[in-house]
Amino acid sequence: MKVFHTALGLVAGLLASTVYASDTPAMSKGEYLTRAADCVACHVVPGGKPYAGGLEFKLPFGSLYSPNITPDKETGIGNWTDDEFVDALQKGVGKDGKHYYPAFPYTSYTQMSREDILAIKGYLFSLEPVKQMPPENKISFPFNQRWGMMFWNAIFASNERFVPDSKQSAEWNRGAYLVQGPGHCGECHTPRNIFQAMSTGNSLAGAELGNWMAYNISSDAKYGIGAWPEDAIVSYLSKGYAAGFGGAGGPMGDAVEHSLRYLDPADLKAIAVYLKSTPARSEGIPRPTMAVNDAALQKGLGQKLFNDTCVACHQIDGSGRQSPAGGLAGLKTVNDPKGRNVMATLLEGHTPTAARVDQRMPDFARSYSDAELAAVSTFVLRRFGQSDGEVKAEDVAKNRASALH
Amino acid sequence: MQKLMINGQEHNLDVADDMPLLWVLRDVMGLTGTKYGCGIAQCGVCTVHLDGQAVRSCVLPVSAVAGRKVTTIEAVGEQAVGQAVQKAWLDHEVVQCGYCQSGQIMSAVALLQEHPKANDEQIVNAMSGNLCRCATYTRIRAAIKSVSQA
Ligand code: FES
Ligand code: FES
Repeated sequence: MKVFHTALGLVAGLLASTVYASDTPAMSKGEYLTRAADCVACHVVPGGKPYAGGLEFKLPFGSLYSPNITPDKETGIGNWTDDEFVDALQKGVGKDGKHYYPAFPYTSYTQMSREDILAIKGYLFSLEPVKQMPPENKISFPFNQRWGMMFWNAIFASNERFVPDSKQSAEWNRGAYLVQGPGHCGECHTPRNIFQAMSTGNSLAGAELGNWMAYNISSDAKYGIGAWPEDAIVSYLSKGYAAGFGGAGGPMGDAVEHSLRYLDPADLKAIAVYLKSTPARSEGIPRPTMAVNDAALQKGLGQKLFNDTCVACHQIDGSGRQSPAGGLAGLKTVNDPKGRNVMATLLEGHTPTAARVDQRMPDFARSYSDAELAAVSTFVLRRFGQSDGEVKAEDVAKNRASALH
Repeated sequence: MQKLMINGQEHNLDVADDMPLLWVLRDVMGLTGTKYGCGIAQCGVCTVHLDGQAVRSCVLPVSAVAGRKVTTIEAVGEQAVGQAVQKAWLDHEVVQCGYCQSGQIMSAVALLQEHPKANDEQIVNAMSGNLCRCATYTRIRAAIKSVSQA
């Protein structure tokens, strides 16, 4: 009966809300927001049932596992009331007053209105319940004392809803809401301070994420996305690449696959409009100029491997042979002196199921040694970038250990 | 329905958007001169020309070639460079088992169309994506050079 009431409430909510209603007819508002918030990114394990959780988060002080958010009463959130669900997303406090760790991005979701959050709940409750208990968290003392999060929250979590800026356009406000709220872009793209909180003075300046770099996406023309035309940002978010600007790999590839490509073009444009107006942060990796360096063409392992393995799709001039997604010139990835995303892509490949077949890349972790992957990465950095970067065999060895799954 | 321009002729084919061009060529059109090797753009046997550029047809969804000109090994001999390359291949008796050779010829023709006087380095850069398990590489290079120096 409770579910029924919730559903009724939702329908009323849907009719009443016009500000953030999506106009994708095929998708309910709840499903759309669940996509926009990319809940599935964390609440699933590879090959597992969507929203049933169990994904491990390795943190400096232990391991956390994402919970089951299907409506199963025993192992999921089937018994949660509306207030409990809203508190979880806005305050980071779960049922029974348990404080979450900020691996759960309530610090961003808090911007969402109660109505939007309940739309998400309505969608989750419409799914098939899955009986699956996530593993116990393994967090060491004192971090296992969840009440400690109260102090953290008091300092770092704002518990404030998004307030539109009346001086800006409706489009800008929509973009700001999507980026700061459900989209939780800053959770990866904003560097964290020593307390693991997003550093507000450095918003969207880029941060490291495992083997990957989440680049600076502030409005800075050189270091951020300020020089990207809006169309390029929309292409990147909807298709996973923008020729000559960027390709979404690793965790960002997942974000495109599970979340961003489902968003309305108008919403993606709103995101672009907002991102291009954020405070410029001049740090991180600068975009390279679109040029190839002929001095890098030297006989050696790197060039040999590139010719054997990479030219078929990328071409020796980096223009991309058959798909604009194969273009290397102009990407920040080839200008990172440490070549982090080059290495990560070689080790993990790029195989989102949504990407067209000519946009996929196999992984090379199993076919080449550390020294070989280091040589070809260095070749790519020198040929297409201007950072004079270098990848060493030790770097590959270190990243290989965490890349193979 | 896909509208394709293959070897100078227009075809309207009822195939799925994401069907690889190689599949369309071989199974739908019966143009079996283009071969299937790895299916992941690693061996080069499936090479055809797309607006004159060598591409791997195994990873090219047919929807990506709509409105562009596709040339396969069956028709490459209608072009002057194609003819010269095929003749050089015979003169040098390049072929051993032959499986990789349509791909090799397509890559060589694309190279020589772009760089009629291709030097050693350009030959290596353009041809190294085409594998030959019979290792006819030295004869391939000699045949290409005979055309580029002619
Ligand atoms: S079959 Fe296309 S490259 Fe091998
Ligand atoms: S001639 Fe046999 S594979 Fe090349």
